[in-house]
Amino acid sequence: MRPARLEREAKSSRHAFLKEIVSIAFRNLSRHRVKTVITTIGVAVSVALYIFMDAWLLGMNLDSRRNIVSYEIGAAKIQSQAYFEKKEDLPMYESFSNWKPIARALESAGYAAAPRMTFTGTLYSRSGSAPIVFHGVDPERERRVLRYMNYLEAGRFPKEGTYEIALGLLAAEKLKLDIPRKLTEEELTRLVEETARTPEEEAFIRGLYARQEPVFFLRQDVPRTELDRFWDLLVASGRNDARISTVIDIKEESGKIRHVYQVMEAKVVGIVNSPNPKTNGNVAFMPLDVLSGEEGLLLEDQVTEILVRAAGAKDSDLPGPKESPEAIEEALRRVGFSLPSSLRVYGWEEYVKDYIVAARGDNVTTRVMILLLFILSFLGIANTMLMAILERTKEIGMMRALGMTDGELVLSFMIEAGMIGLMGGIVGMILGSLANIPMVNHGIDYSAMAKQLSGDFGYRITALFRSAWNPGTIIGSGIVATLISALLSVPPTLRALKMPVTESLRFE
Amino acid sequence: MTVVEARNLVKDYTTNGLTVPALRGISLSFEQGEFAAIAGPSGSGKSTFLHLVGCLDVPSSGEIRIEGTDVSTLSRKELAFLRRQKIGFIFQAYNLIPVLTALENVSFPLTLLGVDRKEAKRMAEEALAAVGLEGMGNRRPKEMSGGQQQRVAIARALVKRPSLMLADEPTANLDSKTGAEILELMLSLNRTLGTTFLFSTHDRMVMEYARRLVHLRDGIVEGEERKGEGQ
Ligand SMILES: Nc1ncnc2c1ncn2[C@@H]1O[C@H](COP(=O)(O)OP(=O)(O)OP(=O)(O)O)[C@@H](O)[C@H]1O
Ligand SMILES: [Mg+2]
Repeated sequence: MRPARLEREAKSSRHAFLKEIVSIAFRNLSRHRVKTVITTIGVAVSVALYIFMDAWLLGMNLDSRRNIVSYEIGAAKIQSQAYFEKKEDLPMYESFSNWKPIARALESAGYAAAPRMTFTGTLYSRSGSAPIVFHGVDPERERRVLRYMNYLEAGRFPKEGTYEIALGLLAAEKLKLDIPRKLTEEELTRLVEETARTPEEEAFIRGLYARQEPVFFLRQDVPRTELDRFWDLLVASGRNDARISTVIDIKEESGKIRHVYQVMEAKVVGIVNSPNPKTNGNVAFMPLDVLSGEEGLLLEDQVTEILVRAAGAKDSDLPGPKESPEAIEEALRRVGFSLPSSLRVYGWEEYVKDYIVAARGDNVTTRVMILLLFILSFLGIANTMLMAILERTKEIGMMRALGMTDGELVLSFMIEAGMIGLMGGIVGMILGSLANIPMVNHGIDYSAMAKQLSGDFGYRITALFRSAWNPGTIIGSGIVATLISALLSVPPTLRALKMPVTESLRFE
Repeated sequence: MTVVEARNLVKDYTTNGLTVPALRGISLSFEQGEFAAIAGPSGSGKSTFLHLVGCLDVPSSGEIRIEGTDVSTLSRKELAFLRRQKIGFIFQAYNLIPVLTALENVSFPLTLLGVDRKEAKRMAEEALAAVGLEGMGNRRPKEMSGGQQQRVAIARALVKRPSLMLADEPTANLDSKTGAEILELMLSLNRTLGTTFLFSTHDRMVMEYARRLVHLRDGIVEGEERKGEGQ
């Protein structure tokens, strides 16, 4: 009579056995309460941190994507293939003409389209100069694709038919074309002299500043209307007059590139400070129409790109399936329009490799860091289980003498360790989620730090880090913590099982 | 029926390259219902013999059959099932599971055997009553005296009605009065249930209780006495 028969009998009541070992595991954990609590806290902290950091990264990425699409690029660009291949050099000579039929076709297919002529040059103000990337835009159409003009720090967006400029905040500060926040007495006097035309205006301007030895600060409580009035005075005084100096590159029939120097007088009428740092640096926006002809860039209707977005898309929307390059091409075909063969539709991702690289790098480094933390806390579990198993060597011997199999013992210690992981996981899930609530709802204001970084570190977010919920990570990290903990008990258990039962029983 | 049959059992222990012979060829068999003691001085191999018979360790050579099954043919898992089903152990140090109550300790082997909870509880209460611990079921091991703990250990070994009870110096940690009580209990269980008992001792008083006495010395059987009613 082989005892194999007994195995079958025993299996019939697996359930009672499992309940029993869970109960034993639970009691052993509560017998070593202090150690259990410390180990649990270790796991909880790692799980919470992981959830927190993951939500942060996800939030930064979602915000960055939204900000790229809403303030920088739109969902896609139409460009000549030649321009796209050299796009880092901003080769204005690879522009294309006849953009209007394309824009109209896009509009009739349910998209918003914004033409742009992008070129580089130097902007001179009274107080200095700065290299600037200029975008000639159709203000009406630009507004339908992008939303940065809703974030003007001062002034308004340029009007069609004028040499008006909206300038990024950082360039404006550097060229002293913004509203001055801090002035010496001397500077304030000069500003008043240059700007105020009546004693009433003089008093008005002086009233905006508060003396705080040795300088004057713009008062914090000045209402927007008064700032606007001040800004109008500044613009009207000629202080914001500027000069654009640029080199026009023209591609000849022969393929040779001809350079033409050009100077344009302009006026800075608005300052851009949108949630996407790319619009707030050395960038300027001006009407496209004045760039054509002799006075402008010698253009005849050329643009370097057309930005495309679904008509009526909201700021907070990420590009949908309708906005992929393929879908846009398909939609154009449906309205019976075929793009000139030199042009292509490119998705937004093609233009933000810097962000994608930064995001991927951060993802990896952050996750590796947290992984190290995980390893530390799991070393804690491993140690706790190792001690528990060592301490109970005699008990293990006894259980084996009672007829417990190796598998059953491995399972019972896995359950015990898994319970630590589960408790730590649950506490960590709760802590991580609680920490996420303010981070998702309010975020962290880091505008001071962003200025030091010149607002440019890949991510397209300016003054606010905001997290986003990621249920997959929250649940997943709890499950992973439980499983890893359970597995960590296996090696010491197997080691204990290598001992003959008699050795275990003699162990003290 | 022959419960235990040992043939030419040899067991050597090797520590630090030094081989110590613990058993040097022991052949013994025990029939169902025997109440037998293995006696001998310290180091004579009593524990080693009981451990081999209980399948807790393997002999260096020789053969052990439990109810006719050659245990060397069994896998680790099958050996565990054999212990679970057929063998009850009583140790000198009681070895109860400290986090379980007396009742839970006693019902644990039944849980391993797949007996359902209610039935296991009933049988465990019965077993506790049989060892004179009625109403003590809720105590933890550390809340009990040595004698009480050893009674719990006996109840735990007994509850599954094993074919063979092995007890390695079950009374060595107890005073002589309690030790005598434990032996009386074992003897009455042997009489009423017919359970085969095999225990080791070097205590004269304990040997008095045995109906068969095997003397070991230096790992070999030195002599054997049988007494009492006809065994
Ligand atoms: N695990 C072991 N490793 C090495 N030697 C051992 C081991 N177990 C027992 N021995 C040796 O084997 C011999 C028999 O030991 P065993 O424990 O069987 O004797 P015993 O009769 O039970 O003695 P005691 O009355 O002291 O319990 C002794 O010489 C002992 O030192
Ligand atoms: Mg011994």
